[in-house]
Amino acid sequence: MTSDAINLTRVTKIFGGAKPVRALDNVDLSIGKGQFAAIVGPSGCGKSTILNLVAGFEKPTSGEVRVDGKPVRAPGPDRAVVFQEAALFPWLSVWENTVFSARARGQPKSAYEDKARQFLARVGLADFHEHLPTQLSGGMKQRVGIARTLVMEPHLFLMDEPFGALDAQTRIDMQELLLSVWDELRRTVVFITHDVDEAILLADVVFVMSARPGRIRSRVPVELPRPRSIDLITDPAFVALKRDIFNQIRHEAQAVRVAAN
Amino acid sequence: MTAADGAVEIERGAGARFGARFGGSALVVLVPLALLCLWEAAGAAGLLPTGLIPTPTMVIRAWYVWTFGPDTGGFNAYSGTWTDVVANSAQRVVVGYILAVLLAVPIGILVGWSNLVAKLVDPTLQSLRPIPITAWLPFSIALFGIKDYGAIFLICLGAFYPILINATHGARSLDQNLHRAALMMGASSRTILFRVVLPNALPAIFAGMRIGAGIAWSAVIVAELVAVKSGLGYVLWDAYYIGRMDVVVADMASIGMFGFLTDCLLIALQKRLVRWRSVA
Repeated sequence: MTSDAINLTRVTKIFGGAKPVRALDNVDLSIGKGQFAAIVGPSGCGKSTILNLVAGFEKPTSGEVRVDGKPVRAPGPDRAVVFQEAALFPWLSVWENTVFSARARGQPKSAYEDKARQFLARVGLADFHEHLPTQLSGGMKQRVGIARTLVMEPHLFLMDEPFGALDAQTRIDMQELLLSVWDELRRTVVFITHDVDEAILLADVVFVMSARPGRIRSRVPVELPRPRSIDLITDPAFVALKRDIFNQIRHEAQAVRVAAN
Repeated sequence: MTAADGAVEIERGAGARFGARFGGSALVVLVPLALLCLWEAAGAAGLLPTGLIPTPTMVIRAWYVWTFGPDTGGFNAYSGTWTDVVANSAQRVVVGYILAVLLAVPIGILVGWSNLVAKLVDPTLQSLRPIPITAWLPFSIALFGIKDYGAIFLICLGAFYPILINATHGARSLDQNLHRAALMMGASSRTILFRVVLPNALPAIFAGMRIGAGIAWSAVIVAELVAVKSGLGYVLWDAYYIGRMDVVVADMASIGMFGFLTDCLLIALQKRLVRWRSVA
């Protein structure tokens, strides 16, 4: 299917070493263009490995990873990544971090300055251009992490538990920010999280993964109307979805415990 | 939104805090002053071996004459010659040290960054490293004769290794996610090397440069004791031979002073270049 943004075909990933770990086992996954997909699952299930394969940071042991129909060979600016710990360059200011990709690719100032200013304002950092990352809170760092990917105007956003390290209130702020930005852009997003609420709130489709070896256990469409807000989490439809996904994850966790015994 | 609320206050008071703790109070000079007084008193009481160990006032007097006294045209080597002596040593240190920085930083970064370069040059570098600079003395005299080059060679060699090792460590300590972030933003290998690996290694490079500067001053003294006929190291031995212990101590103090000043200079430079580290 060429209309898919992302296609994983029978992807297996084994991390070598003294005790090889089978992180992913025969995973088939496709995510449509413009879709917001969340991947949830117990920790250590290989969620992040999927993202790293799509980003091109890792190579599959077998199988194939395609983005827009083309096999992934290396990381590139068509696939922007938001990291859990923001991964900003500590020696660069907020502004310099935001325009890093444009400068690294030798774009002229006129091509990125307005855009960068606009996106920094969009994430609430208009007054923080000259700040260094060490002077920012966790939430603000992640806003820069998001702003710099927006400036890249990628085909694809890959987000690896971006709000996992934030406190509850900041997390909600960031989720609402992401919802409203996504409503404007409607780009393909792969969002890794272990927070089921977060997955349902943000995504069009939630993939539930099984524990090691990682497999896609089920695909749960989230047919809740947009634009969404945090109030949605008390909605009966939301709660029903949550119960369904929770049961699947609990089942997985139990299966792991039984296997361990 | 609440972005502004989360801003961490900029710590501009680092210098002020330092001042309050050390410079502001008289505490910092208390112990050195007490030691000097004790030394002086011991001299006055006749407890020091006469003619061998000078008192602080004798040292200061000798130092004053050495610095500001009339140039007697070689009649008294320790009158008005201090500036020239210092210039000789400092020149060697500066040339040898800058050479060491220019060699060690790029090589260290490349060894840390590229497995290929590491395989090519690391064994050679590591097998030469355990040879102390003092052991290189005869070799360097044989190679360069009693000339400046021998001293510069030793200084460069001595400062080279700490800078090299720290630069290598700095390049290797790049966080995997920072590297990945640069890759996903489309940075070329060249851009990554100059805009990511190098700035990331800068604090480590400065740590190495500070250690290297200390070794450079040791190296110049060692070289001048043996291989060169001028400079602070040469005067140290020369003054000892003619029994001018006051000059010897003044010379020691001069060496210490310049070592300290070099370190201050490097700290100031580091504060300018690695602003992002000191802010935290």
